[in-house]
Amino acid sequence: MRATLGFLALRALAAGPSYGYAIIGDLEQHGFGTIKGGTLYPLLTRYETAGLVVTEWRAGDGGPGRKYFALTDHGRAELARLSADWQRFADTSIRYLDPERPTKETSQ
Amino acid sequence: MTRTGTPDTSTDKKWFDELVLELRLQQVNGKAIGDTVASARELLADTGQSAEDAFGPAREYASSLELPRAPQYEWMRTALWPAMVGLLAFLLFTQAAAAWALSDLLLFSPAQLALLSAPVVAIALLPLYLAALVRRIWAVVALVVFGGLAGFLASVVAPTTRADAWLALDPVPWLVGCALVMVALSILLTVRSRRPGSGDEIIDPLADVSAGSSLGARVGMLVTNWMFPLFSLIMLGLTSLFR
Repeated sequence: MRATLGFLALRALAAGPSYGYAIIGDLEQHGFGTIKGGTLYPLLTRYETAGLVVTEWRAGDGGPGRKYFALTDHGRAELARLSADWQRFADTSIRYLDPERPTKETSQ
Repeated sequence: MTRTGTPDTSTDKKWFDELVLELRLQQVNGKAIGDTVASARELLADTGQSAEDAFGPAREYASSLELPRAPQYEWMRTALWPAMVGLLAFLLFTQAAAAWALSDLLLFSPAQLALLSAPVVAIALLPLYLAALVRRIWAVVALVVFGGLAGFLASVVAPTTRADAWLALDPVPWLVGCALVMVALSILLTVRSRRPGSGDEIIDPLADVSAGSSLGARVGMLVTNWMFPLFSLIMLGLTSLFR
């Protein structure tokens, strides 16, 4: 999960700028469980440093202010690259794990 | 998903204090610390979790963020060296003031000089143990006791006659020289601290004002910058009574 959380978090921003709690909620809603702030924020901070996302503080409406994260062009390109890599890996894994796949006899 | 309000427990306050301390120790700038604190508060307000539950131990969380840090030796140049020079000047000033009050020469023995230099060396080596020091209150107490003890023992082993002394100096030039060094240093620190952003205060990203720019903080900074000249003046006033 930790290995994939990076591009999953980028994917959560693909639709537009979002904030920590909404990103956690989106991932939870799609079956990835509840991600802790201590896991998500360091990731987003590293992405900000790497130029994959930019941030903007917006005043809260009766609540706390919100830090919005938005994908940069570099972030979108990275998301596309990581998604393609993952797709290839997933396809290969599925083919390999297929019980119908003929298995090779191993000699002693 | 609902917002459950900001938890405001003493445990969370301790966690945030630790987080700020750890980030300061990492030489992270005030703006980035303010941003980190506000982000954490935002999520806690949304989830209703405690800081420890949401982010884990403050020290580990601070480390995991990998925020950009100031050059390692920057604080040594701006804070450590002035403090060390100021302390050295102050220690020499007190010795010279005592000799001046007694209309005597400034007498030194090797043991006395070694004991006087001990607190200066302890400050010079601060980068090696600063993190351990701020995390353990007993270590701070031990350091203060060490400094006080070194000063006391230095006065015990101070030579009483010129024949016992290794060095015998006219106290007045040392008194004036040390006073000038302390005042010059305080002026330099005051000018530096008045530059915008020089204090590296923690900045709330939404308020966009520094949390440490209150009148109390400014007065505190001024007193700190002029601490050695102030103590020296008090010292001189007290020793003048015996002259």
